[in-house]
Order: sequence, then C-alpha cells, then structure tokens
Amino acid sequence: MIRFEQVSKTYPGGFQALKKVSFALESGELAFLTGHSGAGKSTLLRLVALMERPSVGRVLINGHDLNKITRKQIPYLRRDIGMIFQDHRLLMDKTVFDNVALPLYIEGYTQAEAKKRVQAALDKVGLAGHERKFPIMLSGGEQQRVGIARAIVNKPPLLLADEPTGNLDPKLSLEIMSLFESFHQVGVSVLIATHDLALVARMRHRNLVLKDGHMIDDGLASGGYDPLTEEDY
Amino acid sequence: MGFLKRGQDTRQGARSVQISRWRRFVMFWANNAQQAIGSLGELARTPWASLMTIAVLGLSLTLPSTLYVVVKNSQAVSAEWDTAAEISLFLRKDLQTQELQGFRERVRLLEQVESITFVDRDSALREFRESSGFGSAIDYLQTNPLPDVLIVVPVPEHRSADRARQLLEQLEKEREVTSATLDLQWLERLQALVRVIENSFAGLGLLLCIAVVLIVGNTIRLAILNRRDEIMIMKLVGATDGYIQRPFLYTGFWYGVIGGVIAWIATTLLIWWISASVVRLTALYDSKFRLQGLDFNDMMVVWGIAIGLGLLGSWIAVRRHVAAIEPR
Repeated sequence: MIRFEQVSKTYPGGFQALKKVSFALESGELAFLTGHSGAGKSTLLRLVALMERPSVGRVLINGHDLNKITRKQIPYLRRDIGMIFQDHRLLMDKTVFDNVALPLYIEGYTQAEAKKRVQAALDKVGLAGHERKFPIMLSGGEQQRVGIARAIVNKPPLLLADEPTGNLDPKLSLEIMSLFESFHQVGVSVLIATHDLALVARMRHRNLVLKDGHMIDDGLASGGYDPLTEEDY
Repeated sequence: MGFLKRGQDTRQGARSVQISRWRRFVMFWANNAQQAIGSLGELARTPWASLMTIAVLGLSLTLPSTLYVVVKNSQAVSAEWDTAAEISLFLRKDLQTQELQGFRERVRLLEQVESITFVDRDSALREFRESSGFGSAIDYLQTNPLPDVLIVVPVPEHRSADRARQLLEQLEKEREVTSATLDLQWLERLQALVRVIENSFAGLGLLLCIAVVLIVGNTIRLAILNRRDEIMIMKLVGATDGYIQRPFLYTGFWYGVIGGVIAWIATTLLIWWISASVVRLTALYDSKFRLQGLDFNDMMVVWGIAIGLGLLGSWIAVRRHVAAIEPR
C-alpha cells in the first residue's frame, strides 16, 4: 500500500527531517511509527498525504508514484486517505454531523444521502446520538472519535493517524487503538504515529522506528511484535 | 476517481464510493445551488460587515451611472440643438428678380435641402427696425443696407456639423451668393465640451470600477483568511480548490446583485433630486426638456456591471489566497 524508496526530506533552512528512508507497508497491514519527537514521524505521514513533497526519493501509494501526482490531483488522492490528528482538526462552528459528513459533501452527497453513512461511522466510534452536538460540547476523547468517524466515513483503504492518543488517558487511548484494530480487521491499511510505547507494546503489531530521520527498524527484522524499549533510542 | 481504490481488489475491504458521471453532473449543480444559498446565508450572518461592502459597491456604481445619465441627457440635448442647424445665404444686391427666382428654385431642388425660406431685404429691414430698438436711427438711412437672405434648412441627414459645412461650402460657390454662414461654432464647441465631459466621466467611472474590484477583493480576502483553518481542514479531507472557492465567488456574486439594486435606487433618487433644478434651468432656455432616468436596458447594464465587478473582485481574491492556504 505504501512504499518509500530512499526518501529524504530537507526543509527550507537545511533541517533534514528524513534521511534515506525505505520501507513498505502491505495492503491491509496495521503498523505503528514510533520515535522521539522530531524524529520525522509527522514528516513521513505528511509525505504520504502529499502535504509535503520529498526532496529526494520516491513515495508510492498503491503503485502510484506521488512525485507524478499534480497539484490538481492531490484532493482526489486525499479522499482515499483517512487522516486523524492529535488536535482533531474539527470545524468548531459545525455540528458533529456536519463535521463527519464533510468528506461526503465534498464528494457531492446531499445531507439526506450522507445521513446513513454518517450514522454508521458515528455508530462505529460509539458516538451515535451525538449528531447535533457541537465539538466544544464533547470531551477530548469524544472529539478524537469524531475525527476518526470523519476519517472513515467514506471508507478509505488507508488510514493515517498522527499521535491520535496524544492527549488521552491510557484507558481512552486503548479504546481508540482498538478502534484502529477493528478497521485493520476489515482490511484497511493503518499507519499510526505515536510515542506511547507502552500501548504499542500491548498491541503487538509491526513497529517502524525513526531516529533523527533514519529508519532504524522497519519492524520486519524484529518480528514485528517486539517494539523497542525506551533505552534503545 | 480514487487513486488507491482504482484497480484494488474489492475483497480488501474499503468498499469504493461509486458515483456515476451523470450523478456527478447533477450533484455539481445541486452543490452550486446549495453553496449559492449558503453564501447568501453567510452574508445574513454578518449583516453589518456585508452591508458596508455592498453599500460601497452600490454607491461607487451610483456615481458612474448618474454620470452616464447626465451624458445621455446632454447627448439628447445637443442632438436637439444639432437639428436646428440652418444655413443663411446672403445674396448679391444686384440680382434681377428672375435670377433670384431661378436661384431659389435651384437651391430648393437640391437633394440635401429640406426647405428654404426667403427673407427679402425690405421685410428684413422692417423686422430689424421693430425688434432691434434702433427704429428711429434706421429711418435716417438713405438706402436699405440689408441683402436678401435665403435660409436653407438641410434634410436631417445633412444636419450634422460636418455635413452642414459641406453643404455650406457648396452653396457659397454659387454666383448669386456673397457670403454664407452656418452658426456652427457654438455647436462644435458644445459638442467638444460634451466630449470632454464624456471622456472625463468615463475615466472617472473606470477608476471607480477598479476601486470596487479592489474593495470586494479585499473583503473576500479577509473572509478567506478568517476561515483559514476551515479551508485547511477541507483541503485535508480532499476538497478541490474549486469547491473551496465557490462559496467566496458566490459571495462576490451576491455583493454585485445587491449592490446593483442599491445603485439603481441611489441613482433614481439622485436623478429625482437634480431633475427639479434641471427642469427649472431648461425652462429658462425655453425648452420643454425632460430629464431621462435609467431605462430598463440601462438598469440591466448597471446590474450586470455590478455583478461582474463583484465576481471579478472575489475571483482575484480566491485565485491568490485559496491556493496559498496549504494544510499543515
């Protein structure tokens, strides 16, 4: 699903966020992306969502070389990637329903047509009945789940999550993670950037480790079920 | 449309979203209508800010459209005066009655001439004595100093300054004519003056239109920057620039629609306001002149220009600023 080939990313000003990163994520696979802050986790996700372009190397998604995707094509690519952020990125002046329905509106659904899918998505994240509330009326965990519902509402084959549990307590974090696991079980590819190593250890999935822009472990050699501990960084 | 779903095995979950081309087309217009109404609602949500921009647009257009009405009326007036062009031919004093008769007939039959009036020297003198106030002074004259005069009115096609002058030159060459005058100078001056006014009004109108575009553009720019976060999020979930731009373009469109109506009302009021004084002025010139306001066509043109300027202003703003907002 995702393939990085010798990808480097240098930001204007000379900071090198990624250094010759190569890895492949199979279709339907769930993987964690860990590393200290500033290791390049976010940059890696941003390259996949075309919020950045690599300085060197190629990123391929489902066989498509992202370097060949023009600016005009980017929105269509993003429609197939569900993205979840630490700060939720919700529209605060819109209801939960409208927030979740946004990707559907963009694809040309009317409110009535979107209703079924929005309700299914909210059901899935356990927020049925909250459609008419505004995000500000919800707790942090609930807001994060609204963000997840928005990411899955048009059933994208790939989910990217950037620190989805960053602000949540361990119990809520586990709930969110098991949500991702359930998407993985129905065949969605999921890549989660996190620094919650304890949680990663519990989940027992492949773990990609970044350090200072290098990928020091692509999770295959170590068998995938043995994430590095804090001392390894 | 999707990149990832294309050619993907459907067993791998992630059922793809299938929308037919026809449906996309229908939905495009349904979306447009929705966004148009949505942006109208957006205006209603910030009535004062919107009203101020709209008022600027409307009032800025009021000046050019009022100036246009003034120019239109002055054209009508000068056209009216233009048709008053008459050529006076002063004839030689030594002509025989028969020669005179022949000349009158010849002129009358010219195709450029509509009618002639012959004023013989005796009746001219009589008239002059009565109307000039020099009555008794004229009585001292031994002979009548006035020549016979033939007043020639050209056919309508030959009443313009140029054509009348051509006719004048042609008639001046006649043996029987000593001199000919066409009171054209004041007409030409008037026309030149009207042209100066027209041109300066056109320039002023153009400047005001540019100002309107800039004002609308700036308002829309602020609206875009205000919704920066929202635009970023929309881009993240796959909105095209076109989709994000449309509500702002509709905002510009509505500015134009409402601003145009304001321009109508303000222009009508302004013309109503000045028409009383214009009528008084023209009454002094013995004219039954009536000020023409904006007719239906003019109103449509004003409306069209208002909408066009609103759209242009918003288009300039969205083109620059929507593309510049990239998700972080």
